Formats: sequence, structure tokens, C-alpha cells
Amino acid sequence: MNQKITTSVVLGLMCFALTLGMFIQAKTVKGSNIVVSQNYEENELRAEVLKYKEKYDNKYKDLEKAEQELEKQREISTENNEELTKKQEEIKIANKIIGLDEVTGPGVTITLNDSKLDINSVFDPNSLVIHDGDILAVINELKNAGAEAISINGQRIVPTTGIICGGNIIDINKEKVGTPFVINAIGLPEQLAGLNRPGGYVRNLKEKHLDVDLKQVNKITIPKYTGVLTYKYAQNIN
Amino acid sequence: MKEKLKKGKITMIIIVGLVCFVLILVMSMQFKVVKQTDITSIENMREAELREELANWKEKYDEVDSKYNETIEKLNEYKETEKSNEETEKVIDNELEQVNMLLGKTDVQGKGIEIFLRDTEDEEVPKINADDLLVIVNALKLAGAEAISINDQRIINMTDIVNVDTYIKVNGNRILSPYTIKAIGNQIYLESELIGNGGYVDTLRKSGHSIEIQKKDNVEILKYNGEIKTKYIE
Repeated sequence: MNQKITTSVVLGLMCFALTLGMFIQAKTVKGSNIVVSQNYEENELRAEVLKYKEKYDNKYKDLEKAEQELEKQREISTENNEELTKKQEEIKIANKIIGLDEVTGPGVTITLNDSKLDINSVFDPNSLVIHDGDILAVINELKNAGAEAISINGQRIVPTTGIICGGNIIDINKEKVGTPFVINAIGLPEQLAGLNRPGGYVRNLKEKHLDVDLKQVNKITIPKYTGVLTYKYAQNIN
Repeated sequence: MKEKLKKGKITMIIIVGLVCFVLILVMSMQFKVVKQTDITSIENMREAELREELANWKEKYDEVDSKYNETIEKLNEYKETEKSNEETEKVIDNELEQVNMLLGKTDVQGKGIEIFLRDTEDEEVPKINADDLLVIVNALKLAGAEAISINDQRIINMTDIVNVDTYIKVNGNRILSPYTIKAIGNQIYLESELIGNGGYVDTLRKSGHSIEIQKKDNVEILKYNGEIKTKYIE
């Protein structure tokens, strides 16, 4: 009899705790939905953001068309003069180096992801996630290995590209990108793959149990910068 | 008595099993909900984030708009001068100069800041290394720097900053302390990115290194002193 009572009490308590947990959860989910869908001001702002995004997208398409036309016209204008043709070629190559034009070539693809280990299994959970510093270091090491063009999740690295970490997303070229981070680089694949050798940064991340992968590829395409490069403060010294 | 106990036990096991099952079901449902929430989507942004996002898009739109006008202008210039090689040359030289500036192949000047860094004499404190300089350069880029150099080594798109033995190499050239980092851009942005709360200069200063930042109306930055060659990009 005594045992029965104990069992009932234990079971009752368990059920109670369980129901409580479920209710709290259900409430949390409901609560967050209300915030997302019913805050008038935020909705207004969201609409405004979308409007500007669309305006930007349209203008950007116009710009791309104009740039193609300019390139064609430049070719036409310079075709009957050797010296001018050379200069025209120089501009084309420069645009590829700066990141204002799409490029193709051999290279490597590096995928960086947070560790699959349970965060409770280590002393410092911070060591299981990819930070902006890691990306900065990988990019720097790729450049050291002779990378000629680099992109992160489709964002081309240009001379003004900065990388910053904000919570679990990273800002590159003022665009937000999340894990997994896919870094493409063009250069001599064997040399770029050096990051995988002992002492290389990719190997170091692997040893810290982060989910990292490096593949050599025969041909990859790296997109052009989706922003605009214009300088307001710097001027050429003649 | 024995049978009764057995029955009770079985019932208990079934109940506990059921409870566990429901618990797991609820938990997996939740994981799904959490997974579905895309953190980069604007659906989940709060007011402050949205305002920032809006300002960001407005700025980007303005940039694209002026770039578009500039491109059309160039296009027309080429069209107008199509018949004369001499006139075309002026237009293309102009464009080439602009592109070379972005590449880092020209000396440039403008408003900006100069940062003077010197290793502490305290032997126990680690010296300023390539990673420190890399973080500073990245911070300057985030603040919108248009041209940067370290000890007259121009930072271009392919620049690497690495530790080799006890030295730092920038663009493959060895540099030594004291370091002078020059940057052209908005002085307030540049400075505050470095010395603001948690800024990297503060961090270095706390560890004992000497750092001085000067705002200058005319910072002169030398061009990249090598040849910019590519072999693999097409």
C-alpha cells in the first residue's frame, strides 16, 4: 500500500512537471509569433526595406546592362588601334582582379561549419563555433598561398571587404551570411591545399573538432562583387 | 499478492513509456520549429535591426544609382569620340587611371588617419604580430578605408600579412617595428572603429604596446611597389 502511494506521487509529480514544461513552451512559441506578426511599426519598416531592396535590384540590373554595353563600346572604340586595344585589355584584367568581373579557374573549395560535438561535452562552447577571426585567417592564408580571387558564400572579396561577426551570423560586404561558410578560391590548387597540411589553418580548425573540409577543384566560377566600388576620399596624386 | 505486484509494475512501465514517448515527440517538434527559423531573414528582425537594414539598402541604392549614371556618361563619351583615336585615348586613359587606383597601382592622397605602433620593451609581453595587423586592417576596411598601407606596403586585394620566423611580412616584404599604418577615409569612422568600446587599439594598449592615432587632412599612400600578376583567373 505504502509503495503504491509513493509510485502514484512520483508519477503524478512527473506528469505535472511535464505538462508545465509543455505549457511554457507552447506559450513561448505563441508569444514569439505575436511579436513577429502584429507589431505595426516593424511591419511598416519591413515593407520599406523590401521596397528599397527591390528598387536596388532593379537599378542594379540597369547598371549591369550599362556595364556590358560600356565594355562592348570600349572594344568597338579601340579596335582599330593596337595601343588602345592593349589599354582596353588592361581594364578588363584589372576589373577581374579587383572583383568587378566574374572569373573562372582552378582552385579549392573550403567548407567551414560549427562543430558537431555536443556543447555540453567541452569546457568552452565558444571553441566549437566558427568566428570571424577564423574566416579572416583562412582568407589571409589563401592569399599567402597565391589565391587570385576569393568568395565567401558567393560574396566576392574586394579591396574594401571587411569581415565582422554578429552573433551567429557574419557580415561580409555588409551582407549577412550564416553557416556553413563556403569559401571558393582560384589559384594553383596544390598550393592552396597547403592550408590542409599540418600547421595549416584548416588543419588546425579540424584538430579543434570543427566541421571543416577542403577540396581541390579543376574549375570554379567566382561571382563578381554585387556592390559598387567608388572612392570618395582618396584621389590620385599626379 | 505476487501477481498483483507484477500487474502494477507492468502498468507503471507502460505509463512511464508513454510519458517518455510524448516527451520525445514534443521535443522533436520544437527542434523543427527552431531549425525553421532563418536568422538572416528579415521576417525575424526587430525594430533596431530593421532600421539599420533600411539605412543599409538606402545607401546601397544611392551608390548603385550614381555608379549607373557614371557608367552611362562613360558610354556616351566613348560613343562621341568613336571616330577619333586621339579623343578615345583621353577617355580610356581616364578610365584606366580610375581602375588603377582601385587596384592600388597609383599613389593616392586624402583625408584619413595615421596609426603609430611600437612594441613594448617588456620582454614578457608578446610582440605585435601579423594577426594584430590583420585585425587592424580588417577594422579599417570595415570603417570604409579606401586605401591602406603598413610601413609603405600598400594593401591590395591580394595582400597577405604573415609571421615568418620573428618577422612580419606584408606582400612578401619584411617589415619591422615601429609600424606606421596609414588609411584614407572618413576620419571619425576610422578612429572610432579602432578605439571604440572593445576596439583593437584599446586591447593592444592594455597589453603595454605604445599606440598613437593622428587625424590628418592629407594622408599620402604610396602605390603597390610590385607587379600585379595573375596566372589562373580567366
